[in-house]
Amino acid sequence: MKKKILAGILAIGMALSLAACGGSSSGGGSGSAGGSGDSGSGSLTVNIWDANQQAGIQKIADEWSAESGVSVKVEVIDWDNYWTLLEAGVSGGQMPDVFWMHSNTAQMYMENDVLLKLNDYIDKDDAIKKENYYEGVWNLYTRSDGNIYALPKDHDTIALLYNKAIFDKYGVAYPEDSWSWDDVYEAAKAITEGSGGDVYGYALNTSNNQDGWYNFIYDYGAQVITDDHKGTTIGSDEGKAGMEMCRKILSVAAPQSVVAETGTDSLFQSNKCAMITQGSWMINSFFTAEYHEDYAWALMPYGDANGNGQCDDGERYSAYNGLGWAASASTKNPDAAYSLISYFCAEKGQMEQAELGVTMGGMIGVSDAFASAFPGMDVSAFTRIEEEGSLYFRPYTRNTTVWEDALQQAGAFLDAWQTPDDPAVMAQACENAQKIIEDAIANE
Amino acid sequence: MGVKAPKKEKTSREISEAKWGWAFIAPTMIGLIVLNFYPVFNTIWQSLCKTGDFGRGNTFVGTANYVTVLNAPETWQSLINTIKYALIEVPFGVIIAMVLAVLLNNKLKGTSVYRTIFFLPMVCAPAAVAMVWKWLYNQQFGLFNNVLHTNVAWISDPNIAWISVGVIGVWSVIGYNMVLFISGLQEIPGDYYEAASIDGATGIRQFFSITAPLLSPTTFFIVQTRLIGALTVFDLMFMVMDKTNVALKSVQSIVYLFYTYAFTNGNKGYGATLVVVLVAFIMIVTFIMQSAEKIFVYHN
Repeated sequence: MKKKILAGILAIGMALSLAACGGSSSGGGSGSAGGSGDSGSGSLTVNIWDANQQAGIQKIADEWSAESGVSVKVEVIDWDNYWTLLEAGVSGGQMPDVFWMHSNTAQMYMENDVLLKLNDYIDKDDAIKKENYYEGVWNLYTRSDGNIYALPKDHDTIALLYNKAIFDKYGVAYPEDSWSWDDVYEAAKAITEGSGGDVYGYALNTSNNQDGWYNFIYDYGAQVITDDHKGTTIGSDEGKAGMEMCRKILSVAAPQSVVAETGTDSLFQSNKCAMITQGSWMINSFFTAEYHEDYAWALMPYGDANGNGQCDDGERYSAYNGLGWAASASTKNPDAAYSLISYFCAEKGQMEQAELGVTMGGMIGVSDAFASAFPGMDVSAFTRIEEEGSLYFRPYTRNTTVWEDALQQAGAFLDAWQTPDDPAVMAQACENAQKIIEDAIANE
Repeated sequence: MGVKAPKKEKTSREISEAKWGWAFIAPTMIGLIVLNFYPVFNTIWQSLCKTGDFGRGNTFVGTANYVTVLNAPETWQSLINTIKYALIEVPFGVIIAMVLAVLLNNKLKGTSVYRTIFFLPMVCAPAAVAMVWKWLYNQQFGLFNNVLHTNVAWISDPNIAWISVGVIGVWSVIGYNMVLFISGLQEIPGDYYEAASIDGATGIRQFFSITAPLLSPTTFFIVQTRLIGALTVFDLMFMVMDKTNVALKSVQSIVYLFYTYAFTNGNKGYGATLVVVLVAFIMIVTFIMQSAEKIFVYHN
């Protein structure tokens, strides 16, 4: 009997420690990541999730250190672990001093007062003026009561990436700024059929909405999340028209099962795919790729919603998103933390960030330098979209991941990705998505 | 009165021994309490709550989470997926390991080399193993499809994917099971085999009449621990399958579902409930296994 009890206890221990491991082990991990052990005055720990940006961020931070005498250590933690560690850091009281915020989670962090309130600092700081920044990014990090918890670090946009060598091989004209999604469809069809399915004309990253299918919905006049963040029009006729265009392209693009296994960027870089849409945060990965000389960027195509054959106002959209520089409410050195954030976000830091090709700025008008940071590759499509099209801020609500995740599953768009030849499935998926989002918002 | 035995005084030596005894087990006890028992009770408490952000503001909701979890088809689907995985990993992992152990227990050249090779998967990081298998299975560029000249969606076809994932599991545990079997085999006295050969028993007969029964305590131990391990599988599905993989729904384990709710969606209470349900299930399985011990295990 004793043995049975022992076995039972061990079984419980084994299984339940799974539940605990997230909390306890990562709590320990964040201790080293947080590094608040070092004296408060002499150093700051900065956490980011993008290794591509580390060198540039560290360089700017070092310049600030030279002025302030406070050293800065920039640590990269990959996206998934970043949030697990940060959350554990909040619960365990060991956060990095300065770190990035993102639209997925900003609401939660701001509502719980775990971020340093910046209002008083901003009022005294001449270098930071609200009107100089992208409105969507600034508003994202402002709580409904007016408290500001992060300053805009950057913004990103989407453009169409194509492989010139594949277009040449199959005798199809290169994408131009005047292309609509119908033109993309024709070109993708010609390449997919011309190669007998060996090369795909187009590939849609179904697990990343921001650089993919969201844009269709806006081109045709619907919204994934309405401006008040309380509803959606994804199931409207406009939303369905947008997703119908998306479906049409999918019917001549790489099958979703292929994309789910290999990823659109890998497909593209292995010369298996002629066109994808990509965000500006990915430029460096293609700029340094093996066949980068074949790659070129075009303006995001427009959705010809009214069918008049030209791009009218509100038919060309790109999602944009912006990270924020935030500080921990429990940092031992709030003045230095704000000073560093201000250095990153003021004009000098923003210009330098663009010149180094780290990202485009969170400040308006500093991004031209970014377009020339990649010699031999024209990336102006990312900055021109702001004059020649419209930007919409990446849709978010309080618990974005809940509905974002559900939209990718069976019962929503996964059904439609699987059967791109059936318009009825896509229309049904839009209606299901409408309900999923509404239910999720109702539960927030 | 007078029935009660006089209380025995402890000698100073006994007290001293007791103190040292406690001192020696204290590190383990404290470790268990802090790292296992506290989280256990905390998890059960969370499963009864609608949890707030960052572990603050939990509100007690009674069994509401349990009602939702037990009424959700995905819970049962995930439990079935987990059982299907266990049905591949445990039997094949045990049988193949046992055969290898018997073969490698013989005196043949380079035994230690073979043992090392079979044990290698154990010393590889599970995440790295899964990444390698993910590329082997890849429909477009994968080694399997290229060598076999097939075009099978190994990990995207719901009918095949659960087997593909199970195969990785088997491959990963064979080495560990084998080492346990070898140690079990070495406890069987050689005289039995000698006597059997003199009586004219063949190798196969020897295996079933001597090896299998005398190895049964080891076999039982492995089956039981691997069963619990297989029911809590997570890393394979998580690493091998993309979240938009169409086969994910029919492969994801219950711990994967727990991860999705607790960490991706930030709903710790619902995640805790899923884990408690899993624990209850494992306890039932363990209880049945313990009862079956008398039937299957041969005690000398």
